[in-house]
Amino acid sequence: MKTMHITLGAALLSCSALTAQAADANLHFIMCGGEVREADQAVVDQFIADHEGVTVNLEAVPWGTCQDKSLTLAAAGDPPSIAYMGSRTLRQLANNDLIVPANIDPETPFQDGVLNTVTIEGTAWGYPHAFSTKALYLNCDLIEASGQECAAPATWDDMYALAKGVVDNTDAAGVGLAGKDFDNTMHQFLNYLYSNGGVVIDSATGENMLDSQQTRETLEFYGKLVDVAQDGPTAWERDQLKDLFNDGQIAMYVSGPWGYGQHNEDINQLVAPVPAGPSGESGTILITDSIVVFKGSGHEDLAHELAQRITSGDSQYDLDSSWGLTPILDYAAMGKTDLYYADGIWPNFTATISTGGPEPLVEDFKSLQSVFTNMVQGIILKDDTVDNLVTIAGEELDEAL
Amino acid sequence: MVRSAEKKRRAVVSESVFAWLLVAPAMLFIAVIVAWPLAETIRLSFMEAGLGGETYVGLEHYQDLAESKKFHRTIVRTFYWMFLSVSLKLVLGLIGAVLLNAAVPGRALFRVLVMPPWVIPIAIGCIGWLWLYNGYFGILSGVAQKIGLTDGPFEFLAYKSSAFYSAVVTDVWVGVPMVTLFFLAAMQGVSRDLYEAAWVDGAGRWYRFRRITIPQIMPVIVSMSLLSAIFTFNSFEIIWILTEGGPRGATTTLIVDTYKTAIGNYKFGEGSARAVIIVMLLGAFSLAYLFFLNKVNKKYGVK
Repeated sequence: MKTMHITLGAALLSCSALTAQAADANLHFIMCGGEVREADQAVVDQFIADHEGVTVNLEAVPWGTCQDKSLTLAAAGDPPSIAYMGSRTLRQLANNDLIVPANIDPETPFQDGVLNTVTIEGTAWGYPHAFSTKALYLNCDLIEASGQECAAPATWDDMYALAKGVVDNTDAAGVGLAGKDFDNTMHQFLNYLYSNGGVVIDSATGENMLDSQQTRETLEFYGKLVDVAQDGPTAWERDQLKDLFNDGQIAMYVSGPWGYGQHNEDINQLVAPVPAGPSGESGTILITDSIVVFKGSGHEDLAHELAQRITSGDSQYDLDSSWGLTPILDYAAMGKTDLYYADGIWPNFTATISTGGPEPLVEDFKSLQSVFTNMVQGIILKDDTVDNLVTIAGEELDEAL
Repeated sequence: MVRSAEKKRRAVVSESVFAWLLVAPAMLFIAVIVAWPLAETIRLSFMEAGLGGETYVGLEHYQDLAESKKFHRTIVRTFYWMFLSVSLKLVLGLIGAVLLNAAVPGRALFRVLVMPPWVIPIAIGCIGWLWLYNGYFGILSGVAQKIGLTDGPFEFLAYKSSAFYSAVVTDVWVGVPMVTLFFLAAMQGVSRDLYEAAWVDGAGRWYRFRRITIPQIMPVIVSMSLLSAIFTFNSFEIIWILTEGGPRGATTTLIVDTYKTAIGNYKFGEGSARAVIIVMLLGAFSLAYLFFLNKVNKKYGVK
């Protein structure tokens, strides 16, 4: 009898200990971007209020070091519970068994192509949380000063003619090109490649499709644009082009929806979809950042719940609208009215979602990036022919895959 | 009495044990800071190591590097970068030291003014240079346009050659003050009697510099050259901040390549192989350099 009492007591004690362990969970949440957005903070606060004893250590880390921090913490066996990071890192994390697949409700009405940015061979590894598409910004003051009408160029030929007109008749450059050793050199190129029907990696088979006629046409056009671009594109990355645009030094460049608010108010700007190439229709690169749940934190279930809440309809809408992001969900299908993206510049960023392509998901992202920068810089510096550069890029991509 | 006390001390701790005790902290320090990381780097260079773990691959990484033309070009570029930069630092440092050693009014002020590139954090200095080199907002391109040297903005860091030589200029800017101050200190140690005797004998300024100053400060020139060569060979932050090794690898030196491979791409094994090659190259270079300079020293009569 006495033994039974002791056993029961021990069982009760261990039960209460387990309860205490679950209740005392402390989730380490790494938020890339250096700041915590209000909409995210509100969800986290509510999550803490709903789970007694659960705390969330929300750590905002700047983009430059954030992904490396999460990766190295996980590789060292001390993973964060949950992290908000670029979807480009998903394959690296998944292949190294550092994260667990996301439990995304199949009914969630994501925009076309969004799930492709987090899906590897049929499994979604992250909860898409921030979405961006790109469009062409035009400085109408400059274009009109060059004696041309400020109208959205529909094709690459129109765009080149417009840029040439600016170069010939003003002191400014026709277009701003990004060619620095930086990720958005690849992103900028992909905006044009996807607007020419190009593909980098076949999402169904995982096959390398870079070495194609579409890539050759795109690179050739890039080479042509160099003649009407700012001096030395290989020293510029996209965010710096904003300064040139604001300073009236370039008449056009491609950027995300945030660009509109970053440009000087006195510039008469026009936004247009990225012009279409000879083999395709106007498109864009589709980039997402996502919430990932790391393996081995001990409270993956709680982390999944938090990720689901943060990326669910209302809080996601709050984030998209307050930050001016391309809508990641089809909010109209969810019954929302008075949508922030229904008019203004937004149709230029939403119309191309269906024709856009994803940021390729490979394990070694930096190698992928260098395949593109090498190719793009090659044509900018006129180091080699279009044919050779694309052939080499195709071979290098094979090695990186 | 004294002798017996000494005997007693010897009995407690033998001389060799005492000597080992004295050097033990330093040896422990070197073992932890230098030997262990070096051994670990060598071990990793035989592994395929990434975020997911390690597998033994033997000499595969070294074979890949031996066959890679890109890597060979990186080695040649690194040595060219080092020779060019170190030569400029030594020449400018020597000229600077001579000027600062001259008996001119306000000499102390000039000595202070030469120090900022060395004193301010390298990253801050490099960001300043980044702006100077900017084609549209930088002063260098602005002045070049103003005086009619160029008819439009010139982006210094956008082209292979200009980016490389711009990085050399910044590296020299950072490195010259230290060389200058070392040479200046050495020059101040040269006995004035030698100069006076030479002057009485009718030796000119250049002759005195060549026959007295240079031989007298040769030991400092030797050690400074070697130190500067190693610093320059492994100079990372200047190139990284200015160009990140671009465009198209034109400013990628061995250390930048190693960083990109090991830290940027998480290829710890391949990165370690590169690091081991750096150690071997620098080791071989140092030996050859010391051998050669030993001969130079003998010629100048310095032991």
